[in-house]
Amino acid sequence: MPARANPAVIDAEHARFLQGAVSIIVASRNASNQPELVRAHGCRVSRDRRQLRLFVDAAQAGELLADLHGNGLVAVVFTEPSSHRSLQVKGEGARIVRLRVDEPARVEAYRAAMVGELGRIGISEALTRALLFTGGEEVALQFAPVQAFVQTPGPDAGRPLGANA
Amino acid sequence: MKLGLDAIRECFDGTVPGVMATCAPDGTPNVAYLSQTEYVDEEHLALSFQFFNKTRRNILANPQAKLLLIHPQTAAMYRLTLRYLRTETEGPLFERMRAKLAGIASHTGMSGVFRLKGSDVYRVLAVEQVPGRPLPAPPPRRNLLAAVRAGSQRLAGAGDLAALLEAMFATLRGEFDIHHAMVLLLDEQGQKLFTLASCGYEHSGIGSEIPLGEGVIGVAAREGTPIRIAHMTGEYAYGRAVRDALARGELAGRLETEIPPPGLSESRSQLAVPVSAGRRLLGVLYVESPQDLRFGYDDEDALVALAAQLGLAIAAFREAVDAAGEPAIAEACTVSPGGPPVAVRHYAENDSVFFGEDY
Repeated sequence: MPARANPAVIDAEHARFLQGAVSIIVASRNASNQPELVRAHGCRVSRDRRQLRLFVDAAQAGELLADLHGNGLVAVVFTEPSSHRSLQVKGEGARIVRLRVDEPARVEAYRAAMVGELGRIGISEALTRALLFTGGEEVALQFAPVQAFVQTPGPDAGRPLGANA
Repeated sequence: MKLGLDAIRECFDGTVPGVMATCAPDGTPNVAYLSQTEYVDEEHLALSFQFFNKTRRNILANPQAKLLLIHPQTAAMYRLTLRYLRTETEGPLFERMRAKLAGIASHTGMSGVFRLKGSDVYRVLAVEQVPGRPLPAPPPRRNLLAAVRAGSQRLAGAGDLAALLEAMFATLRGEFDIHHAMVLLLDEQGQKLFTLASCGYEHSGIGSEIPLGEGVIGVAAREGTPIRIAHMTGEYAYGRAVRDALARGELAGRLETEIPPPGLSESRSQLAVPVSAGRRLLGVLYVESPQDLRFGYDDEDALVALAAQLGLAIAAFREAVDAAGEPAIAEACTVSPGGPPVAVRHYAENDSVFFGEDY
């Protein structure tokens, strides 16, 4: 934990986890508290770990982009399929932005990493690529993480990060 | 065309778990993986309630939810709009899910972590396919409607109980490629099931008994609902449980025979379907396989349809036999691989079982 008055919610080890071969599902809600969710295709953590960017196919996002325009609230679950290890991150101030020049390559690298990870639990490359297919325009959802929780199934699920000491 | 819930049931059996988004009353969204999704009917599904977690608190306060499902063979994604209705903590749906969850838990190394507290029933308000490029669906192993028709004709052609059971096993082998099966009947006291006939086992286990409520078979009978497990689990390994209990002497007084039940030692998929005549439970049709994920919702539907006919036919033959003053069960037959059929007589008066001419 950095010795700062107001440390980042995400530490360096978590940043590596979030940017690795993990399934990413992002959720929002509208003005009537009706939730929405979609699968994302990779995550980028800013250098100071105070901003996350998720890559999402706009055509797949359903009501999620409209929800984010409305209130900017997100919940994201990151799960490593082979170990069930899961983290949930809550965020605020989510904006929909274009991908940076180097980010399409990150999305590709993410797909390749997932082919390897899901391959370890017997899922074929063709199936993984179909699962992570982008048909429309890929957009980035950028937001500030405000809370993070352990969500690996079991008694610790829901424990805030940093509360284990 | 509107997507029916039964058209995407395979997503519920998949190895890729569903994910659900909910929202707290203060407007904070939440997203979490589910262990189990169960098809209830065209307008309802049930989700496993295992932990008092955020998802749980949210749906009790705000019943709106969205579920993301993935087809295990094509990777097609579906988004379901749900509304939470109620939680069931006993009865057929709960027992079906509890048995299945035990299988999932054992398969994923989560035994002892996953335990069903309740079945959360939701109304399905909308089913939407997420745009993408799914893989083509593999052709089905067999058109199961055609298999049911062929089986139904075979059963209808049987002239007595022995021929009926043989027709059932021949149908399972020939039309469904199912090679390990047994038919068990409920005893007159309604307390235990005894094996009437079996096929595909080294030891036929004819006459072996399973207490009502024990394992996949006993629970299917007690609850009057099919129990289907895609991954073998110790907890519901009826054969092992009964054998172990016999060894410990725990079933003294509950079982009168000590014939070990038949069963595959490497059973991976199991399906027990109640056999009834109208509303009267007669017994259970049980099938198993050494393969994981061998029986799906469609197999279950097919065997439920055939079991209905089997039950009515068993009842009709029994009535005919009773009217003629013969023993309650006569001339049942077992089929072991390569072996000749063995005629079995089970006398209800003293619970004796005859194999051919042997006691």
